[in-house]
Amino acid sequence: MLFTSLEFFVFLPPALILFALLPAGRRWIWLLLASYAFYGAFRPFNLVYLGAVTLIIWGCGVALERTSRERSRRLLLVAGLVVVIGSLFAFKFYDFIAGELERLVGETFGSEYAIALPRLAVSTPVGYSFYAFSAVSYLIDTFSRRLPGQQSTGQVALYLAWFPKILAGPIDRATNFLPQLSAGLRADPERLVLGLQLIGWGLVKKVVIADNLAPMVDKIFGIAAFASPIDLLISVYFFAFQIYCDFSGYTDIAIGVSLLFGLQLMENFRRPYLARSTAEFWGERWHISLGRWFRDYLYIPLGGSRAGPVRQYLNLMLVFIASGLWHAGLGYGVGWTFLVWGALNGAYQWAGVATRPFWSRVGERLPRVSGSLPLAALRVLLTFHLIAITWVFFRARSLGDAWLILKKIALNLVEIPSLLSRFPFTTEHYTAFALIAFLIGVEIVDERRSIFQRLAAAPVAVRWALWYLAILALLILGRWQAREFIYMQF
Amino acid sequence: MQRLVKSALLFVVIGLALYAGIYYAAERLMFHTGRSNPFFKIATAQESAVDWVILGASHAMPLDFADFNAQMERETRLRILNLAAPGAGPLYNRFVFEHFLRAHRARNVLYVVDSFAFYSRTWNEERFADAKLLRRTSFEPAIARRLCDYARDEGVDPRAVLDYVAGFSKINNRERFERDAWEGERQFERVYPPSASAVKKRIAYLYPDKTAAAALSHYLEALSTLIATARQAGANVVVIKMPTPSQYRSQLPDEAAFDQAMVRLLAAADVRFHDFSKAIDEPRFYFDTDHLNRAGLTEFLARYLKPVLVPANGGRLRQ
Repeated sequence: MLFTSLEFFVFLPPALILFALLPAGRRWIWLLLASYAFYGAFRPFNLVYLGAVTLIIWGCGVALERTSRERSRRLLLVAGLVVVIGSLFAFKFYDFIAGELERLVGETFGSEYAIALPRLAVSTPVGYSFYAFSAVSYLIDTFSRRLPGQQSTGQVALYLAWFPKILAGPIDRATNFLPQLSAGLRADPERLVLGLQLIGWGLVKKVVIADNLAPMVDKIFGIAAFASPIDLLISVYFFAFQIYCDFSGYTDIAIGVSLLFGLQLMENFRRPYLARSTAEFWGERWHISLGRWFRDYLYIPLGGSRAGPVRQYLNLMLVFIASGLWHAGLGYGVGWTFLVWGALNGAYQWAGVATRPFWSRVGERLPRVSGSLPLAALRVLLTFHLIAITWVFFRARSLGDAWLILKKIALNLVEIPSLLSRFPFTTEHYTAFALIAFLIGVEIVDERRSIFQRLAAAPVAVRWALWYLAILALLILGRWQAREFIYMQF
Repeated sequence: MQRLVKSALLFVVIGLALYAGIYYAAERLMFHTGRSNPFFKIATAQESAVDWVILGASHAMPLDFADFNAQMERETRLRILNLAAPGAGPLYNRFVFEHFLRAHRARNVLYVVDSFAFYSRTWNEERFADAKLLRRTSFEPAIARRLCDYARDEGVDPRAVLDYVAGFSKINNRERFERDAWEGERQFERVYPPSASAVKKRIAYLYPDKTAAAALSHYLEALSTLIATARQAGANVVVIKMPTPSQYRSQLPDEAAFDQAMVRLLAAADVRFHDFSKAIDEPRFYFDTDHLNRAGLTEFLARYLKPVLVPANGGRLRQ
């Protein structure tokens, strides 16, 4: 049941009506049932995995609450983490590693020593990466006593299963989610309107922008060896916007739907392609819930920047390699490309840390230049292109393909203007450029002051006209043929 | 709260009015760009009676590519209406033909049979919900009613009814300004270089559910009903198999069993069956793995089809 499917639009209104009819203190029970129905609709057996993770972390949570000995508490935490992270790792990588080992042994020792390792042959349950990370967050927060008192089993279950976020996040914290349930859920008209606006905008991003870019991206990345440099360059740009609109569209809908039920999830995207550095991109603007997860549960426990520069560099790289491994998934295969993607982003962070003192000095000596709009625009463009390069590794089918794409573009950079003038642009290209330009325009306006705040202050006629325009765009330009959200596959 | 409800109602009413406007515009546009959809052809057919109605899946469609139908009509001096649709199995063909009979008459029905169409819901029940077909199907209350009946009685997805009535696929049509033509029509004049891998892919596509005997008997029943419907309407039915290259034909799964079942059914119903599948084998007569190009069709018409369409009594069998 995708957010863009008819089934979802049939599922949502009765879920909301029953929610409204129930007393505030009991509403979470209905939401838990609805969430299980939603998740079970993909594949009923997935509920077994979800149930198992729920029971494990709830059990660990109860034991952590009751145990005062620090050593026992640490053991409990480690046991919980090993089960949750271990299962995620096994689902994602066991078959891949087994295959690579077999290949390595065969190539090294010859075919007479070939080995055949057993395979799990089970696909990762949809959304497992997301609720496994939520589960880890719950365990660590319980261990570090950020979650006061014993939590209700049902509410912990809802924290993991909450249907708007179970498939692709945001990876909300139990410290944000559970207190809202305990306080009783209430949806007010303001939240209702904001929720609907977010759902509408999320749908526009996903169905109108991302899914209109996707066919062109898929086609060119599928024939990278035969595609022209311009085709490749355009596809790299298109993919950067496709993945952004696909993923942020999903989270906008997730946050919007949650608001309809009175639940406020954490922000996940903040106009990432307006970031002025890759550190800002990852730290404050792109997949914020995952970035903070890695910061709080990996980077800081490893020592962060407090343990000296060498450790800081090491920690940064570890975080981004872990992020690369997390992203390796079904969507674009489990391959080495994700490791390179993570390492490249880690290298960007190294460069950022290493050059930070230099830029600070430049800022101090030339304050007017460093604060000027042209420089800001230049930095935004540079950051965007650095990130776009990493997306090539994310999207390409293999390291060879990624390298070929980058090489083809780089070797023809000088000729790009003349190649562009001869390029046979189609209506689809022009539509895509117009949609991207529209998105950038909205983001720039939103950067200065929230577009939703502007909408709230605008006359009714303007608000309604924009609503109708969005609905017409969804109807006329939207691609509704059930294309999965990219991040659902991780 | 009351004010909010009032505003919401007004918003919905204006929204519905806008929707009705774009629905109307999409419907009008569909009439400007329409061509190959069977319902469009029925809606725009100039005569109420024709000598031959052609039904079937994509193998029957080249008979109406470019000016070929007009060429057939000239050569046979018969009025021919081709209502074949890509990937259409007997259930969808029956649906089209029943609608045709509401306001038209056919003296003969030429049913072009393909085994793949008898083995999967994909080519039958699920075909009704195909956006590519729905977006070119003109809106008529009678079609909506019949679609409801098929959803109730034949297991057609109710979403097809909803889509058709709401006109969503028509409004959402990405090719709204393009002429309605199956992609094969653009290749009608070309000669296809044989490719074993393309044939393999094509067969896998055509037989997604393999060849279950239960499915075959179910869809043969749909064909029986179609034949009975045609007979009741006074039409004579002839079933043919179009020529296909041996490279493709040899890969068809369980084709002999299908042929036997078809022959049995047609013999019991006293329907003439012409198996032309081996009639034209040369690759130069095909524009892809299994569809005749113009040269192939011209050859086929002259040597095989014309005698079927124009028998001794001139094709007008039951006047």
